[in-house]
Amino acid sequence: MVNDSGQLYTMEGIAAGLVMLLTAYLILSTTSIYTPGDTHIPDMQLEQLGSDVLAMMDTPDSDGGENHLVNLINRSDRDGFNSTFLKYCNARTNGDPDTIHMSASVAYRDGDRIEEHQLVKPDETWTGRESAVRVTRWVQLDQQSTRGDPYGSRAQAVLVEVLLWRA
Amino acid sequence: MACMNEDGQWIVLMGLLVAVGLFFLALIINQSALVGQTTVEGVLEFPKNDIRDLREVIFDYVDKYGNTGGSAANNVRDDIIAISLDRKNAVVDFTVKDPVDISGQRAYPVEIHYNNGVTVYDETIYHY
Repeated sequence: MVNDSGQLYTMEGIAAGLVMLLTAYLILSTTSIYTPGDTHIPDMQLEQLGSDVLAMMDTPDSDGGENHLVNLINRSDRDGFNSTFLKYCNARTNGDPDTIHMSASVAYRDGDRIEEHQLVKPDETWTGRESAVRVTRWVQLDQQSTRGDPYGSRAQAVLVEVLLWRA
Repeated sequence: MACMNEDGQWIVLMGLLVAVGLFFLALIINQSALVGQTTVEGVLEFPKNDIRDLREVIFDYVDKYGNTGGSAANNVRDDIIAISLDRKNAVVDFTVKDPVDISGQRAYPVEIHYNNGVTVYDETIYHY
């Protein structure tokens, strides 16, 4: 007759082995947490930065002074808008400037249609991990007969839309 | 198997308990990752800057035209409503009423309504 008194030790060994394997698997799989929420935080920051830059451009330097954003839209000044926006966006306390790029368009109403006038064309850069975000700001234009196309001369409210991304 | 020493069973049982405990800890860590995502998505979804900007443009309108109406004012009003719907997917409406006297200041009661399908915002403000 075979002596089977060691069987329980074998069972215990197998159970302990399984527990150790399970523990090792749990430890390895839980230490690297992928948080999808993390990817949205830079988007949120970029959106806030863009909104703040548009707000700065929409604020006159002095009480009753000239509104820079209104002036740029009135003159359809592509280069002025581009350089001013990127100057505010890319400014850092020290070190190299940031690498934010942008394109901009202005939505205006023409009769029953909403038209879009591209103010700044996008440059040929790619965004890396971060997605592009859109920020907007309302601008009120006074009646001005010298204002060129496409908005027309009447007093109106237009929506400036800026798409910005970090390359 | 009679008279066998079975003390080792406790070790197996405790091992199982530890494993179950670790399983629940892992579950909690997994859930916390989801919490971060929904929070940020909630913040991104809420149109804080849109509403602020809309209020500002309406206040500009009131500063400029008051509640007099007229074709120039109605044009700007139509601009705001039509462009909001087309570009921001938001139904917007606002009315400016006759000015009232508040602590010696002439203030226009302005009613602002905003609805983009997710966020609804209604406000009555006395603007002077």
